[in-house]
Amino acid sequence: MPTFVEKVLARAAGLAEVAPGQIVDVEPDLYMSHSASWRCIRALERLGTDRLYDPSRIAMVMDHISPARTAKTADDQRLCREFAARHGIAKFWDVDAGIAHLVLMEEGLVRPGMVIIGTDSHSTIYGALGAFGTGVGFSEVTATWVTGKLWMKVPGSLRVDIEGRMSPGVTAKDLMLWLIGQLTADGATYLSVEFHGSYPASLTVSERMTMCNLAMELGAKNAYVPPDDVTRAYLAERGVPPGAYEEVFPDPEAQYVRTVAVEVSQLEPQVACPHTVDNVRPIGEVAGTRVDQVFIGSCANAKYDDLVEAARILKGRRVAPGVRLLVTPASRQVVAQIVRDGTYAALLEAGALITNPGCGACAGDGGAMADGEVTFSTANRNFQGRMGSYRSEIYLGSPATAAATAVRGAITDPREFL
Amino acid sequence: MNLVEKILARASGRARVTPGEVVIADVDRILLHDLSCYLTAKVLEEEVRQPVRYPERVVVVFDHHFSPPTEEQARMLQANRAWAQRHGVHLFDCGSGNIHHVALHAGFIQPGTVVVGSDSHTPVHGTVGCFATGLGNYSHAALGLPFGKAWFRVPELVRIEVEGTTRPGVTARDVALFLTGQIGEGGMIYRALEFAGPYVEGLEVFDRWLFPLIAVDVGAKSGHVQPDERTLNFLAELTGHRPEAVRGDGDDVAEVLGWEVSGLEPQVACPPTVGNVHPVSEVAGVPIQWAELGGHGGGRLQDIRLAAQVLRGRHVHPGVRFNVVPSSRWVFTQALREGLVEELHRAGATWFPPSAGSNQAINMGALAEDEAMVSTHARNFPGRNGSGRMYLASALTVAASAVAGCLSDPREFVR
Amino acid sequence: MMEERVGGRCVRFGDSVNTDVIIPGRYLVSIDPVELAEHAFEPLGPEVQAKVRSAPVIVAGANFGCGSAREQAATCLIGAGVRAVVARSFARVFFRNCINTGLLAVECPAAVEAAQDGDEVWVDHREGLVEVAGRSFRFAPYPESLRRILESGGLIPYLKQVLATQAR
Repeated sequence: MPTFVEKVLARAAGLAEVAPGQIVDVEPDLYMSHSASWRCIRALERLGTDRLYDPSRIAMVMDHISPARTAKTADDQRLCREFAARHGIAKFWDVDAGIAHLVLMEEGLVRPGMVIIGTDSHSTIYGALGAFGTGVGFSEVTATWVTGKLWMKVPGSLRVDIEGRMSPGVTAKDLMLWLIGQLTADGATYLSVEFHGSYPASLTVSERMTMCNLAMELGAKNAYVPPDDVTRAYLAERGVPPGAYEEVFPDPEAQYVRTVAVEVSQLEPQVACPHTVDNVRPIGEVAGTRVDQVFIGSCANAKYDDLVEAARILKGRRVAPGVRLLVTPASRQVVAQIVRDGTYAALLEAGALITNPGCGACAGDGGAMADGEVTFSTANRNFQGRMGSYRSEIYLGSPATAAATAVRGAITDPREFL
Repeated sequence: MNLVEKILARASGRARVTPGEVVIADVDRILLHDLSCYLTAKVLEEEVRQPVRYPERVVVVFDHHFSPPTEEQARMLQANRAWAQRHGVHLFDCGSGNIHHVALHAGFIQPGTVVVGSDSHTPVHGTVGCFATGLGNYSHAALGLPFGKAWFRVPELVRIEVEGTTRPGVTARDVALFLTGQIGEGGMIYRALEFAGPYVEGLEVFDRWLFPLIAVDVGAKSGHVQPDERTLNFLAELTGHRPEAVRGDGDDVAEVLGWEVSGLEPQVACPPTVGNVHPVSEVAGVPIQWAELGGHGGGRLQDIRLAAQVLRGRHVHPGVRFNVVPSSRWVFTQALREGLVEELHRAGATWFPPSAGSNQAINMGALAEDEAMVSTHARNFPGRNGSGRMYLASALTVAASAVAGCLSDPREFVR
Repeated sequence: MMEERVGGRCVRFGDSVNTDVIIPGRYLVSIDPVELAEHAFEPLGPEVQAKVRSAPVIVAGANFGCGSAREQAATCLIGAGVRAVVARSFARVFFRNCINTGLLAVECPAAVEAAQDGDEVWVDHREGLVEVAGRSFRFAPYPESLRRILESGGLIPYLKQVLATQAR
């Protein structure tokens, strides 16, 4: 009795059924590469062929370094543009578009049942729309460009049943941090993580994205939230009718490696402390920790809803003296929305430095710290040295916690502002 | 005495000064940006080892970075912040805007004063009737900061009289670029410039700004516009305080040059230097991949409004990335209120934090070898922005080119 | 072509060694193994870097290579002369990247338990054996498909062969 991933990989491998541990050759529906596409192109040059299996399955979004600030990166990005033009790759977005994952989902290119690979580990995010998404190295994407296939070991599945209602000020990000703290950074290594229950069903697609994004920090291969009316409405808004996709659900009798039951009603805001994502504490234990910088951004939490959540606390208040608040919206669409509804103005007036859309400080495009500095970030990783000095620190949390922290200049429970 | 002589005389405690004399003058304002602050502070702390005599006169603006991409750069900004705090100087952190726009908006520039800065375009502040010039880091570290003084050789003054009424689509920027090409890059070495004539006097202050801006580009020491009612009203509105203004005596000039600009078409400064100015018709059709409003010569509210005029009902060309870098937070906030941020964004432009933008390519602005950018920046020397080519033009020309995908005469886009 | 037995002196790491430590993001502008090797493990300091460059085998705890999908995390080790990584467990993307770049990645908790820093560690991937200071430990050999990729020196060289064969 198959789980979600067993069904979706079987179909993509052209097999009746597959079992965990089995290695299959899968034909992905979409292969994403970001501003590192230049590496894929160089690998293609080494391969000595220019023949692509299916350019319509290739998607490129220039997001990690946007725009270029060194000659080398400028040349690399130009290589990507020329390649896309030469091969007629229509799914190409330049440095002004935003974060790859968000752009592809906003464009309606990610649909239930699809198998998607990407040169970014947080490709697990596509599970928010009931698709299989996983990160791979650039050579693999190149190989897939040419052959249309790649090998995949069918993972076992972890089922997380989540019930209850979150209290105000506590979010999907807090839930995921708590879960990562419980299960640890290799708690779901090689597993497909399925989120079931009334809680995920109550979430917007944006919050489901946050969940599936953070699932990567459990070591997961992919993540999944069952598609429902919320999913269908999201896709319909983007011009994708139900006939254009086939929803895939795990069998009710499906066999899971492990099942975890979670109740969220008593959950408090959580913070991942230096220097691992699973070093998670409830907010009370770290409140008052001084910060130098707050970063609201990344594919985990820079979507429209996330920025609105932050602005709710920042509106009419100011960033604490001596603190830098860096906000990087996820995409052009998000910028349009927050400009229109006054969120942008509220953030600016509070003293935020709002950058152009993209990965921003999470990927080292700005936000670097000197020795002894501390950043509170809404990103999904806090490894030592990721944002500059090896002697700097990163705490992770929700946009609400980040906003509250920016106002006080120290880690602060957002519920104090509600 | 002319305005420069009057200011230098007062500042050096002299009844009168004449061109060629060297004077030691009190400095009323020192402007340092994030790169020069670091270097200047290092020399001050490690070699000069004196405190800052008049910290209230020192203004530091982090404009080249909006956020450091590397640890080294983060360390530099951290050192700057610590230095600024230790000495009690004014600090505008990342995201405040372009140094000159910030200093002016925050009320730090007054007529009749001596303003020095590390940025070579510091003369731009002569717009409001002060004597403003760029000095090297060592001057600041050795004289300006510890003693509040600087030595100057009193320059000769050349008056540039501009008259005429420009045709629609031709802006103050075009006239300023035209003059740069006419005067030539070595044209005014060590002289001070006074921009005058009915054309200049008829401009609002932030358009007059574009003329002293070119002083360094033609080799001059400083440039100014005599302060008048318009200047004083502008400053009064900005700071709530209406200053007194000294005006120079009209006859004390070494030379008067005049230009009639009614027949001018939009101008473009082509690589490799800012003096290589051509009418836009001579370069129309050159493909560009980047367009930018920002830098010393742009990012003004005027520029954003002009760009919006062109982009209304149109879209940025698919092969072009159009960057909009507001010159200050005030401009950004105002642009938001006027709906211009939404308008330009919808047309395909990308907004960046108030800063120096692509100038010096810290957070942005590296071009690939066969790429070209048209911008409102003040400088286009090769190598500043990766290996690409920089064309300098007005906001209208920049916006029109962004739509067309190549250098274009903006008059085709505006009625 | 990969020899049957590879190995040499080992350097030991603990659990959860992440990809930001293995190769910091600022160096991802390169894909050259030699250039990247200069910066492998840079956050841990020059002594650790020197050890890695002189030891053909890395022995590590759980979740080695956790974090990003950056392929250069494997490439930089190859450039530094690492021939095999023997760990308690691997992060899945890092494991894939090892196979695809021709770096031997072996999951063998018992061998990791037995190996001390500086010990001689040898891996025979066909037999599925790790030898540590005279003792042998078994691990599950690679499936045929992965072995072919590994033995070709990685995915690109393997694919190049396949395409050449198809052309003929």
